Order: sequence, then C-alpha cells, then structure tokens
Amino acid sequence: MKTAFRSAICATLAFSSRFLNPTHHCHSLILLYRPRRAALFPSKPSPFTSMASADSSDAALSPTIHVLEKQFEEFRHQLDDSASLRERIRSVSFEIESATRLMHSSLMLVHQSRPIPEVLEKAKGQIDVLRGLFCKLAEIIRECPGQYYRYHGDWRSETQAVVSVLAFMHYLETESLLLHAEVEEKLGLNPSEFGLDTEDYLTGICFMSNDLPRYVVNRVTAGDYDCPRKVLTFLTDLHAAFRMLNLRNDFLRKKFDGMKYDLRKVEEVHYDVKIRGLATNAESKGDGEKS
Amino acid sequence: MLNSSAARTLSLMAAKPQRFANFAEIVGAAAKKPRTMATNVADSDQNTTKNAFSNYATYLNNLNDKRERVVKASRDITMNSKKVIFQVHRISKHNKEEVLQKAENDLAAVMDQYIARLVKELGGTDFWKLRRAYSPGIQEYVEAATLCSFCKTGALLNLDEINASLRTLGDPSNEPLQINVLDYLLGLADLTGELMRMAMTRISDGELEFAEKICRFVREIYRDLRLVAPKMDDSSDMKQKMEVMLQSVMKIENACFSVHVRGSEYIPFLGSEDTSFSMLGVPEIE
Repeated sequence: MKTAFRSAICATLAFSSRFLNPTHHCHSLILLYRPRRAALFPSKPSPFTSMASADSSDAALSPTIHVLEKQFEEFRHQLDDSASLRERIRSVSFEIESATRLMHSSLMLVHQSRPIPEVLEKAKGQIDVLRGLFCKLAEIIRECPGQYYRYHGDWRSETQAVVSVLAFMHYLETESLLLHAEVEEKLGLNPSEFGLDTEDYLTGICFMSNDLPRYVVNRVTAGDYDCPRKVLTFLTDLHAAFRMLNLRNDFLRKKFDGMKYDLRKVEEVHYDVKIRGLATNAESKGDGEKS
Repeated sequence: MLNSSAARTLSLMAAKPQRFANFAEIVGAAAKKPRTMATNVADSDQNTTKNAFSNYATYLNNLNDKRERVVKASRDITMNSKKVIFQVHRISKHNKEEVLQKAENDLAAVMDQYIARLVKELGGTDFWKLRRAYSPGIQEYVEAATLCSFCKTGALLNLDEINASLRTLGDPSNEPLQINVLDYLLGLADLTGELMRMAMTRISDGELEFAEKICRFVREIYRDLRLVAPKMDDSSDMKQKMEVMLQSVMKIENACFSVHVRGSEYIPFLGSEDTSFSMLGVPEIE
C-alpha cells in the first residue's frame, strides 16, 4: 500500500512537473487557449469533491455501468461453477492417485523377487477401483461437453501414472507393450466422450521405462539371467517406436530423451551378464548386479 | 524425488532377505518358458507396436500441424487487431467519426479474414485443447473490439455480443468458435492500458471530459475485475495484468487530478499526438 501511494505521488509529480515547465512553443498557445479552458471549467469545483462524486455526477453513465456490473456478476457465477467442478475433479484424481500408489507399492514387490503372478494379482485388485474412478470422472465431464481439455490438467499427471503402472503390469504379464486402446479398454473409457489423451499415454509409457532398469538389476541379482536380454529387446523396440514420433519441445520430449538412459542401463546389465557367460547357464548369482 | 529415492533404497534393503528365499521359484518360472516361443511373441509384438506407433505418429503430426496453423492465424489476428488499435488512437476532436468508421471496417476485416480462418481449424474439443495457441490473438481482438466500441458508445462491449457476431462465421454445420470468459477477461485487462494512453492524449488534446469518462469506465472495470480475477483458471497471468491495470488506472486518475487541481495553470499540449505521447512519458506498452 505504501509503495502504491508513493508511486501515485511520484506519478503525479512527474506529470505536473511537465506542465510546470512548458516549452516556449506552448507559451505562445496559452493565450489562444484561455477562452476554451474557461468553457471547460465553467465554475471551478473543489478538486477533491469532484473526483469523489464522479460516479454520481454522471447519471447518463449509470445504466451502462449497471449492464457492465451485470455481465461481471454472470462471469463470477460461471467461474464459481467452474471452480466447484474443478474441485470435484480434483477430489477424484486424488483418489486415482492413491489407488495408483497402492498398485505401485504392490508392484514394487517384484524387485524383492516375489513371484510375478502373486504380485500382479495384488495390483490387479485396484484396477476395478480405477475403473470406477475414471467412470466418475467421465460423468463429471459429461456435465460440460467439449471442455475435456479445460480441466485436463487436473487429472493429467495422475493418468500418466496410471498408464505407467498398467503398462508395467502388462509387461510383467505378457512381455509386450500395452497399447493406447488397451489402456482405454482396461479403464473402461469411451474414447468418444472421455478418452485417454495420446500424449498422456505416451508420457505414461516413458515413465514405465524408468522402472525397467531397476527391475532388470534386481532380477539378475535374484538369478534370472535371461531377463536383461528380454527387457533389452523390449526397450530397444520401444525406443525405436518412439523415434518414429515427431515430438514437440515439450514434457513428453524430455521424458523420451530420458528413456535412452534407461536403455543404456539395461544394456550395461545385459553386457555384464553376457560377458560373464551367465546368460546361457544360470548357475551362480551375484556378479550380474555389478554395473 | 527425494521420497521416491528413499523408498527405493528402503525397498532394496527389504529385498535382501527375500531375494534368496524366492530364488528357486524365480528360476523355476523362468525355465518353464520355452525360449523360441518368447522370440516369436516378441516379433509379432514388435509389429503391433510399430503399427500402433505409426498411428500415434499420425495423430501427433496432425495435431502439431493444426496447432501451427492455429498459431499462425492467431498471430495474424494479433497483428491486425493491433493495427485497429493504432487506428483508434488516431482519434482527435474533429475526426472522430471518420477514424472510428475506418477502425470498425478494419475490425470487421479481421473478423472476416483472420478469425474466419481460425474458426475453420477448430472444432469440438479443440477450443480448449488448443486454447494456448489461439488465446493471444483472441485477447488482442477483444481488446480492439472493446476499445472501438467504447469510443463509439461509451459502454463495454459484452462477451455475448462478440460471440453473437462469431456465430455468423464459417459454415453452420461447424460448431462456431465462442470466445471463452477467460480470454475475454484477459483481453479486457489489456484494454485498460490502451485506454490509459488514450486518456493521456485526450487530456493533452484538451478533451478533458472524454478523459474523465475513460477514468470512470476504467475504474469500474478494474473494480469488477478485482472480484473475478482470483477465480480464473490460470490466475497468475491475470494477477500480473491486474497489477499493470492498477497502475494504468492510477495514472489516469493522477492525470485527471492534476488537471483538476491546476485547472487555471493547465496548458494543453497542441502538438501532434506523437510528441504528446513522449512528453507525457507514457511507457510504450505492447
């Protein structure tokens, strides 16, 4: 407030000083201009009251001000509605996030060499929960057709995490890539009204690739020497597939750029395993972890 | 980041005792799967992956191309709306009708040529998906349209009125572009800057009443925007604009104040508009 006041004073001073130092050119105009100025200020009002009563003094302007206010009131209602909608979306995406976290934590058991079917079964229990939550989200969006992308940011990162978890599960189960349409199917999404954004899907897949190096390392430690080769094939293909895309300089591009480090790490593990002849005959364990 | 790495180390530590316990199981499971079958599966997977990714590539290419076209259309709208704004600033005591008429014609041309091109690109969910791409142009258009209309009628051009004129564009089977509240409000926030410049030139031109009218109008808009601004989706942009707006409002108020206080000493500048601009020290605002 203080600074605002000060700048107000400064602005006034700056403004007035220009009037107090008129150029010669302007001096000559003073005489010409006197009568006109008198007309502009017929009776000189007290400067402060006239400023304060500006709104009431101009009766002609008040109807337009009324219209103006009415429009803004409408905007306020619209924006309030949009905010409450957003609130509901956020609470659903919060639930999505916690369900995903549960899945992710059960999937982490795979690093502790728990058998894959057991790990998957536990995580799969949450898919139905997610399905229900996405259905809820679709219902909310149905209230404002065409505005999917207005609120997209509110479930975006959560959805990317969902994709990454689902894709990782799918990889563990089938050793193949979970496709965009398959994610939509798993989550019970209807692409015509509430689909999965393709860029979100791709980002989620990039996130999944971040999990693979750790998976490989731990599998080798646990004595599964064939794992690096399989993951390497998968990741190489995936990386090649991503290179088909013309990405913009955005978040997805950044994530994709990170994928090559995952690839390199898996390559290193594969190399370590292979150079020691572990890949073909699985007799000893321990050396494979080094990388 | 810290949390996940901490969790990672924790689970790694936890993994150690179990690793050996389950070792036999893992090896057993891995051995069950015949290797030849795995490679076949991988081959067909590779093809489906490739096909799927070529679809994604097409999708992304189309989207990016469209975004590029929308950005271009938006840039053209911005450029030509700016010209309209400059035209409005050429207003003076005697040529008001003439100048405004030309500005209105130019504005209509912006609508018919450039906004029409934008409308052709957009449909369905694009309005929100590509909003960032076209928002600057639309904001500038809102600014030009409201400025024109204020000079002519002294009132604010409503969003509904602008949107009604947009509905006539393009073919009726297409969903028409409707300016959203956010872009409209952002455009209005910029309008104040233009009105500030206009008030300054009006004062130096001796049209004090017009300047005071601007002052009241801008003050009212600022007051109303204050209530709405925090509710907007990405309010950081708006917050910044509100600060600039307050400065503009205060500049106009101070100018009016100076004129009032020093009414008898007041000497209007009678130069060309350009010199009065620089003499008043109004910063050039984009």
